[in-house]
Amino acid sequence: MLSTRGGVRTRLDALSSPGGLFVSAVLAIATLPVTGVIRDPDFWWHLRAGQLILASKALIATDPFTYTVASHHWTMHEWLTEVLFAVMHQAGGLGLIVLVLSVLTWFGIVWILLRARLRRPNLFVLGIGVLLAVVAGYPIWGPRAQMITFAFSCLVLLLVERHLERGGRLIWLLVPLFMLWSNLHSGFIIGLGFIAVVVAAELIGGRLRFADGAPASRVRTLGVVLILSAAVAMINPNGPAILVYAFQTQGSAAQQSLILEWHSPDFHDWQVWAFELMLLSTVALIVANRRIRARDAALVVVTIALALQSVRHIALFVAAVTPIWIDQASMLVRRRRRPARPRRAVAPLAFRATTFVTVILLVAVVYVGGRLVPDMRTQENALAYAQQYPVCAARWLAAAPQPLRIFNQYGEGGYLAYRLSAQGDRVFIFGDAALMGDSMLRTYGDVEGVQPEWESVIEESGTDLVLFDTGTPLANILEASGWIKVYQDPMSVAFVPVSKYHALHLPAVPAAYTPGDPCQQQLASVTSNAGGTG
Amino acid sequence: MNGVQAAVPRARVRTAAAIRAPRLWWVASAAVLLLAITVQPFRDSDVWWHLAVGRLITTHGIPAQEPFSFLQAAHAWVGQQWLYEVLLYRLVNLGGDGLASLALGILAALAVAVAALSVPHARRIPGAWLAAAMVFSGLVMAEVVGVRGQVISVLGTALVLLVVARWRDGHTRAVWALPPLFLLWANLHAGFIAGFGVLAIALLLARPADRVSEARRTLLLAALLGGVATMVNPAGPSLYGYVAGTFFNPTLTSAITEWASPDFHNMWLRLFEAEAVVLVFLWVLSRGPDAYDVVLGGAAVVATLQAQRNVSLFAIIAVPQIARYGAEAWSLQVAPRLRSRHRDPANAALLGSIATMVIAVAVAVTVAPQLSAGSTASFDAARYPVAPADYIATHLARRRLYSIDTWGGYLAYRFPQHRVVFLYGETAVFGNADLQLYEDVHLLRSNWTHVLTSEAIHDAVVPLHSQEASGFHALRWRVDCYDSTSDAVVMSAPTDSTASEPALLSAPISSPRC
Repeated sequence: MLSTRGGVRTRLDALSSPGGLFVSAVLAIATLPVTGVIRDPDFWWHLRAGQLILASKALIATDPFTYTVASHHWTMHEWLTEVLFAVMHQAGGLGLIVLVLSVLTWFGIVWILLRARLRRPNLFVLGIGVLLAVVAGYPIWGPRAQMITFAFSCLVLLLVERHLERGGRLIWLLVPLFMLWSNLHSGFIIGLGFIAVVVAAELIGGRLRFADGAPASRVRTLGVVLILSAAVAMINPNGPAILVYAFQTQGSAAQQSLILEWHSPDFHDWQVWAFELMLLSTVALIVANRRIRARDAALVVVTIALALQSVRHIALFVAAVTPIWIDQASMLVRRRRRPARPRRAVAPLAFRATTFVTVILLVAVVYVGGRLVPDMRTQENALAYAQQYPVCAARWLAAAPQPLRIFNQYGEGGYLAYRLSAQGDRVFIFGDAALMGDSMLRTYGDVEGVQPEWESVIEESGTDLVLFDTGTPLANILEASGWIKVYQDPMSVAFVPVSKYHALHLPAVPAAYTPGDPCQQQLASVTSNAGGTG
Repeated sequence: MNGVQAAVPRARVRTAAAIRAPRLWWVASAAVLLLAITVQPFRDSDVWWHLAVGRLITTHGIPAQEPFSFLQAAHAWVGQQWLYEVLLYRLVNLGGDGLASLALGILAALAVAVAALSVPHARRIPGAWLAAAMVFSGLVMAEVVGVRGQVISVLGTALVLLVVARWRDGHTRAVWALPPLFLLWANLHAGFIAGFGVLAIALLLARPADRVSEARRTLLLAALLGGVATMVNPAGPSLYGYVAGTFFNPTLTSAITEWASPDFHNMWLRLFEAEAVVLVFLWVLSRGPDAYDVVLGGAAVVATLQAQRNVSLFAIIAVPQIARYGAEAWSLQVAPRLRSRHRDPANAALLGSIATMVIAVAVAVTVAPQLSAGSTASFDAARYPVAPADYIATHLARRRLYSIDTWGGYLAYRFPQHRVVFLYGETAVFGNADLQLYEDVHLLRSNWTHVLTSEAIHDAVVPLHSQEASGFHALRWRVDCYDSTSDAVVMSAPTDSTASEPALLSAPISSPRC
């Protein structure tokens, strides 16, 4: 009993020390940027796919949303995530999904911190490192399926590091983790990749007599865990093919060139500057210390290469490199520290504990009241979503009397599929690039870039209506080409060919919406050639 | 005793000479090998308007205003590269495109060689490491050399590195090469700014061998004199406004690929990434880099992440560092584990000279065919609208033309009179408003047709597979001719009598050949 109370007191003492308070505050503040409304355009087709799976109690074999690749086989690599989305949506709407994904992302940051703590860093350095990581990951944070891979990557790296430092049996948790992960998100391959990199680095580092290598027996155990994890990852509806699927995106030139998230970071964008700072400071610290573990060096090199290739991989860089940054910074601080001065008297524990609790409560109130609750309460027809997705245009299309084939913007296909597929409408393309295939992606790219045969692609595919963002080259060229503009709001504009205008019986654009309706704020005058249809 | 003392200096001299001779062979061989990379045809589209300006300067002097476009340029013409333009024009006049390609290729290879020689003398870096660093950096910068003014700045930066290296070795008088260097450089290319960046870092962080304060004062004075010398150019001090206007123009950095951040899906930029990683590894594995090298290397990386055109700057700065720290890391980490072998210096010199000759012959055989008139003409015809320009000269003379910016320079060269060109690569002179006009049409923004009307543009030469071609087609512009070699079309707005449903715009196209 005495030892338990002593242990609790020691922990409270550490937590309420200036360093501990700083770290706790950073962890609390980290909840803010990782929470938000749903900005991932792919979320919507994942949700709709989950609803279809629940309704049919079976996975979907072929594409149900497009009129272009309906025969393509669908590798449902995120089926479990999609089902969970649908279940949560039924139970608690978008708010519950926002809450769960935000908490999961935050846990990823906690696991980064725990991994960094294994090397007993300076607490202030620990807090600064985590803060830098949270800011560096800013372009990527938000409720999205990818955060599953981020969080699980952090957990994998924590368990791996813990095993190499301390041994034990917790490492075997990776096996069931990968079985779960391979059914949640195809990013599990990243986790396997991290373990492989660490094993290879330790083996090579051992040969080259790198400092601080792990005991050979632990490395061997890790190798066995890797093989078993890869094996159980095949326990999913796609079987062993799931291992190949994950590489398809990396090897697809069309996906890498057409999809913005797969582009390299633009260092003119201020949102990327924190990542740049973290990258450069990591290198500077390694050069200053000239002492690094083989596995750390390997993780730094690999994740820098991934992050420079695609901005979405900044999350992986943050997951892998943050504890290394903290370790290197602590090393530098220790080397440069002056001889110990007499310690100043610290405030009583009760005062510090009260301060600690007060700060945490304050941040919690700000977070919950100012961020979490408003984001959870934001409904899909709110202005925040109407400014990102074609909410108003979809509402207008929902009133159409017959199913439509809609040539859409790539990033909006998911929302349109979610909103309109139940009534028979079909889209040209949506965000499962592997399902679409490189040929379809290139065809779409040719139309979006108004290459010479853009019009014949639209006509030959049987498109009824083009719905695209206002001000884009395609929208402007449609206007110049004599297509009939049938809808416009500040975000979207819709055109139909003259030959189909009368046959479609499209609804009139509402002259006004009820007060407070976000579409009212987006209503723009429509300059249709022939007026509304009857 | 005296005999022993006498023997030691002779041995030292022999050792230094024994190292210097084969080292120079290595550097020379690598420089010759690099010619296979650096000698390139006219890949950079800006070469044409530079040639056009060079031609204009030789006949009429430096223009006061932009001379080729019908747009109202925001700024007066800055003849900052006048000397490069005149020399380039003279070279092409003398020996065609091939001579210009050869000359600029030699300059680029020379730059890499100069950078290799800027290693500290005392370190005695083996020639093999110098050569390896040269070849690595040559590959990294391959995409941004060729016939372009930037090569001047690459050479200038290498020379500054050499001066700083000699200054650090104790040869303080070397710094007096800086004022004439900057005087020349500022009349050749605006990249002289990079030279001042290197000097600033050297003044802050580099430590000369002896008499530190005095040496630093001397370097500072030479740098200041160099700064004054840069104002001896047609633009005078306003040259710096021109440079700032280029670097800080947001439209430039978003619209022009070279000024954008690197796209690491390109293999050549992966080489840059690899070289940066190798450099960091060598810093860590050696005895430790000095602060000057780290800050210089880091600054070059940051500059490249901002604008991929700066990759040549990084590559040049990396050459002496990779050689130096690579050799150190090798001697610390690898050499102790290997059995040393005795090498006969005479054999090494013979082998070195044979290797250099073999490389020279191989490079000559590879490069020479590229320099022939036929070869350069074929390259130009495929890359630029040569045949369409011939058509325009015959059928659309004196009419305003829209074209993509990378072809604007060629059209300025072909049609220097009558201001028929829309926009070309001298973006700092045109200014942001004109750049936006170009983007309005190029990206088919909402008011793109208004730009055509307001600027009275009724003809265009554009790639068949371009947004503009589809846009003009939507406006019922007719295709006057098509050139399959450059995949370019000449299009014209309909007059009332010709307005009819145009054929589908696709290839193969049934229009007349240009």
